[in-house]
Amino acid sequence: MTNVLELKGITKRFPGVLANDKIDITLREGKILALLGENGAGKTTLMNILYGLYKPDEGSISVRGQEVDIHSPNDAILQGIGMVHQHFMLVPVMTVTENVMLGIEPTKNGIFLDKEKVANRIREISDQYGLEVDPNAYIKDLPVGIQQRVEIIKVLYRQANILILDEPTAVLTPQEVEGLFKIIDTLIKSGKSIIFITHKLKEVLAVADDITVLRLGKVVGSIDPKEATSKKLAVMMVGRDVNLVVDKKPASPAEPVLVVENLYVRDERQNLTVQGVSFDVRKGEVLGIAGVQGNGQTELVYALTGLLPLEEGTIRLLNEPILRTTPRNILERGVAHIPEDRQRHGLILSFPIHDNLMLCTYYKKPFANGVSLQEKIIYSNAEDLVEQFDVRTPNIYVNAGTLSGGNQQKVIVAREFSRPIEVLIASQPTRGLDVGSIEYIHKQIIKKRDEGTGVLVVSSELDEILSLSDRIAVMYKGQIMGILEAKTATKEQLGLLMAGVHLAETTQS
Amino acid sequence: MKKTDTPSQPPETRTARENQRDSIWQALLVPVLAVVTGLLLGGVVILASGANPLEAYGALFTGSFGKPANLIAGLGILFSTGENAALIKAIYPFTESLVIATPYIFAGLSVAIGFRCGLFNIGAEGQFFIGALCSAFVGYSLKGLPMIVHLPLAIMGGALGGALWGMIPGYLKARFGAHEVVNTIMMNWIAFRLSDWLLSGPMKASGFRPVTPNVLATAELPRFFSAPLRFNLGFFIALLAAYLVYWFLFKTTLGFEIRAVGANPDAAKYAGMNIIRNFVLVMALAGALAGLAGTAQVLGVDHWVGQGFSAGYGFDAIAIALLGKSHPAGVVMAALLFGFLRGGATNMQSMAGIPIDIISIIQGLVIVFIAAPGIIRWIYRIRAIKTETTVLTRGWGS
Amino acid sequence: MKKIYFVSALLIIASMVLAACGGSAAPAAGGIKVGQVTDLGGIDDKSFNATAYAGIEQAVAELGVEGKYLESTQQADYNKNIQQFLDEDTDLIVTVGFLLGVDTAVAAKANPGTNFAIVDYAYPDCFGTDFVEGQTCGSATELSNVLGLVFAIDQAGFLAGYAAAASTETGKVATFGGINIPPVAAFMIGYEAGVNYYNAQKGTSVEVLGWDTAANAGSFTGNFDSLDDGRSFAESFVQEGADIVMPVAGPVGLGSAAYCQETGSCKIIGVDTDWTVSSPEYTDIILTSVLKNMNVAVYDAIKAQVDGTFAGGVYVGTIANGGVGLADVAGASAELKAELEAIREALGNGSLTVQ
Repeated sequence: MTNVLELKGITKRFPGVLANDKIDITLREGKILALLGENGAGKTTLMNILYGLYKPDEGSISVRGQEVDIHSPNDAILQGIGMVHQHFMLVPVMTVTENVMLGIEPTKNGIFLDKEKVANRIREISDQYGLEVDPNAYIKDLPVGIQQRVEIIKVLYRQANILILDEPTAVLTPQEVEGLFKIIDTLIKSGKSIIFITHKLKEVLAVADDITVLRLGKVVGSIDPKEATSKKLAVMMVGRDVNLVVDKKPASPAEPVLVVENLYVRDERQNLTVQGVSFDVRKGEVLGIAGVQGNGQTELVYALTGLLPLEEGTIRLLNEPILRTTPRNILERGVAHIPEDRQRHGLILSFPIHDNLMLCTYYKKPFANGVSLQEKIIYSNAEDLVEQFDVRTPNIYVNAGTLSGGNQQKVIVAREFSRPIEVLIASQPTRGLDVGSIEYIHKQIIKKRDEGTGVLVVSSELDEILSLSDRIAVMYKGQIMGILEAKTATKEQLGLLMAGVHLAETTQS
Repeated sequence: MKKTDTPSQPPETRTARENQRDSIWQALLVPVLAVVTGLLLGGVVILASGANPLEAYGALFTGSFGKPANLIAGLGILFSTGENAALIKAIYPFTESLVIATPYIFAGLSVAIGFRCGLFNIGAEGQFFIGALCSAFVGYSLKGLPMIVHLPLAIMGGALGGALWGMIPGYLKARFGAHEVVNTIMMNWIAFRLSDWLLSGPMKASGFRPVTPNVLATAELPRFFSAPLRFNLGFFIALLAAYLVYWFLFKTTLGFEIRAVGANPDAAKYAGMNIIRNFVLVMALAGALAGLAGTAQVLGVDHWVGQGFSAGYGFDAIAIALLGKSHPAGVVMAALLFGFLRGGATNMQSMAGIPIDIISIIQGLVIVFIAAPGIIRWIYRIRAIKTETTVLTRGWGS
Repeated sequence: MKKIYFVSALLIIASMVLAACGGSAAPAAGGIKVGQVTDLGGIDDKSFNATAYAGIEQAVAELGVEGKYLESTQQADYNKNIQQFLDEDTDLIVTVGFLLGVDTAVAAKANPGTNFAIVDYAYPDCFGTDFVEGQTCGSATELSNVLGLVFAIDQAGFLAGYAAAASTETGKVATFGGINIPPVAAFMIGYEAGVNYYNAQKGTSVEVLGWDTAANAGSFTGNFDSLDDGRSFAESFVQEGADIVMPVAGPVGLGSAAYCQETGSCKIIGVDTDWTVSSPEYTDIILTSVLKNMNVAVYDAIKAQVDGTFAGGVYVGTIANGGVGLADVAGASAELKAELEAIREALGNGSLTVQ
């Protein structure tokens, strides 16, 4: 058994940050190494170094015992290293074949592109590794799981034998995850070696041969999967004991506060991405919306909060229809919104924390008197909220952009919870957060529910949906496939719904 | 908090005041070094041209501030004989620099307020012309009014004309998504050609010269000294405008909205702000400020408008806004710098035999260093720290 | 090391920029100081600022005076630049262009010990009741320390019109101006008169486009800086059938010249200076140039200053005193040359007038 890849003493500094601190990792031939760590632990930096996108300040990389210099992705490919990025690097309007040949176009007679040759090679690769895909299909017509296959084929086409998979399950349904694991198995059997980057503990335990855990840019340790448990791994990742289950009392739902009927929404590209959605959220309950990313959840939330116009349908709040769905009108009616993309919508990163804490109410008393901003009140409000919501910051005058993701999210939660609200819409509320912050945000959401707020949680993390929700709606291609009681719903059932199977069929099986 | 400020110090022990002071220091450091570097390189250019940089900069200094010896002598004569002619001559260069700085302050504020909202107002030059023409028109056509009425009317005329000129591209952007850079440039050309036409016809003074009539004395900004000093009330109005812009941007809800829209339009929309309305408002305000630059020039200095009325104030204003980091205080300082550079240029041109273009080169170098602070940080090995980044404009896609 | 490369690269760029800008006047011996204040065209306008300064340079070389110039970049600079020369005790201040008319008169009145010469302008310039002395016009009386330098350019324009009429193949010749003001219109009045004279002499009917003396109206670009206007005016004249164009609008004419050169459809008559010298790249399409010899007038004013014979008033440059003239006509027949010579003589001795 040889080591195909060894990284020794890799150190990478960014201004003010030590992203990688003397990291050693080893990948054995024909094995799967899971690289586990929270967001910001340095996983992505390390892989970008390996792939030639960053230059390490210190340390060495050896491939099959041979020390190598990797200055660019081309060097990495020459060394047989291939990377499947978390965000696919595919051109939607091109075919599978065209995407695979991008950058290394083979030609006939030096002029004409030889697509047929590439297509044949893709078919060979498909057969060999069980990666079924039509070389002539357009990327935009393929489901996410198949797009990922194309990415893997791209890497194999370039004759990689060391594959880096960066958070490959983030965009997949549970069934698709199973499919991916089968592919990984085939790859290993044919002699490839794989680095699997993730922050999901269960997946690590399912597939890894070796586990290395990173925290704050350092290797915390390596562990044999046979001895590892979720609990142990979580402690290694976070550095302290964590509670992986959300404690909550049974809900006591009352009358509906938010009623959505027959909603149709177009996204910014004018595609009809929400097609006839109806549901209600009752006072004192959490309705979870599950689904694979990109099935209309984002546009649904945007429409409910006024960021996108309604194509058709009605939204009623406390039995009153909302006629003018502008963001201001909706938020003044008592809807709080924790947006999916906190840096795009939720915060102004170049503004100080105290301004972000009054972003939605700056024009009202007590923050404004006429047009004049009341700085003293703005500051004292910020001091109070920072303390109350445990935002870790040197002071309230620093820019929101200097905070960690978890603290940024706390600022948003503090702001949204500090005004009187009837409905809370939380979209991907813990995406990219560390375990400690996830725990905190979950607690706050349940606390709001118990105070009698109607809560709508949208998440593509099935575990999050299951632990927070009282009822679960599953969205697929812009429609709601079914609404289940959380108590009786199973992961398998939800997975089938997420893949577009109708509710009746799932209960039959 | 001097050099003991090392990164290892835990941030929790820093107070808000210290943070603020550090960030102000950081904000000042790069522009100041950019100016110094621009002057140094300009000196090398002067040397390369065969002149003596020390002599040249000496002439630049005395041309922009005056000779200290003359000032002392002038004061002496004033106290001993009561004669103020020598003193007036001594302070002439300094006041002249302030006179030049006045339109720079207004125009710089115009571009800066646009930047704050993420808009690039290249149209300040056109707005400057329109403001000047409107003020001139009110200034010469309304007769028989007392100064207390006439002067404010003439000033308002310039502000309104500029506001209208700025609002048009603002509205086109808000309504049709037309990019303000293209539209403000087009509006510049319309303004230039419109003024050509107005000066050769409708607004032409009697006689053959294609210039407007002189504004009446009741519409002139009062001067504080006798001729040839042209230092006038406009300078103080400019300072007041800078303060008002500061107050508006940082102390009012409207300014908060403008800055939010500029810093992150998506978040501004999320917070319920009306982005489109802000675009129109800001372009109107920017236009009004640039118009006031023209107003200050015509009512305070020239008293009439002819072809080539502006020396490119509206374009230099972009550099001033950048140099001043789009902050009103920074704009005032940058405008004063440009005023002194331009004010001293005449003397430098005459005494050291250096073309006036050298000043443009120095300005250009300063702008390069401001626009690419990385160069300055690299030359002086300044470590970049995370400070507030002012969003200037967003790309074409926005 | 890298830093040194960077700095030297900047230096090279800077020195190239500088070389393009050109230097200022060289210091000279002699007690007399002469300073020129340009208008907005700048010292290298290839037009009257440059021509006037040529006169100063000649005086520096031949009379040993000290000469320099200050460029104006905006109208507020006129006053400031004059003030700068006054502070330096300059003996003779040459100002260029009618836009400096008021500032020059005001400064001359306040400083009777300093002499001034102003190109293309003269005093008194206050007529009627509309004017306020020192504000909308310079002076109601002649100033003893200001010499106005004006030119009977219509005489030279007359020659140009005659030459154009003799050279056209289409029977149509054109002209346009920057702004309809007397110093510009004078070229065009002479031009039209010259064409008419040719028609009367030869019994032809060559037509003039772009100017009508009787109506005091014609084609004007409205500015003195848009080369694009120069192009489009030339283009439309060619479309109307003209094959010779005289642009009286400073650098605007260069746009017309470029159009003529590219299309080969027209010839240009230059103005102010000999364009085959100032813009030699267009020599092949330049028919001739109407010369306004400001350099001669400025030189003469300096010489008077040096000789101690400077007197205020008005100098009028004419065909007779060589203040205006016509450059060689490209491809002129011996016959045309003789005819032009005869007209020149007649205009000079007054037996022929431009009417």
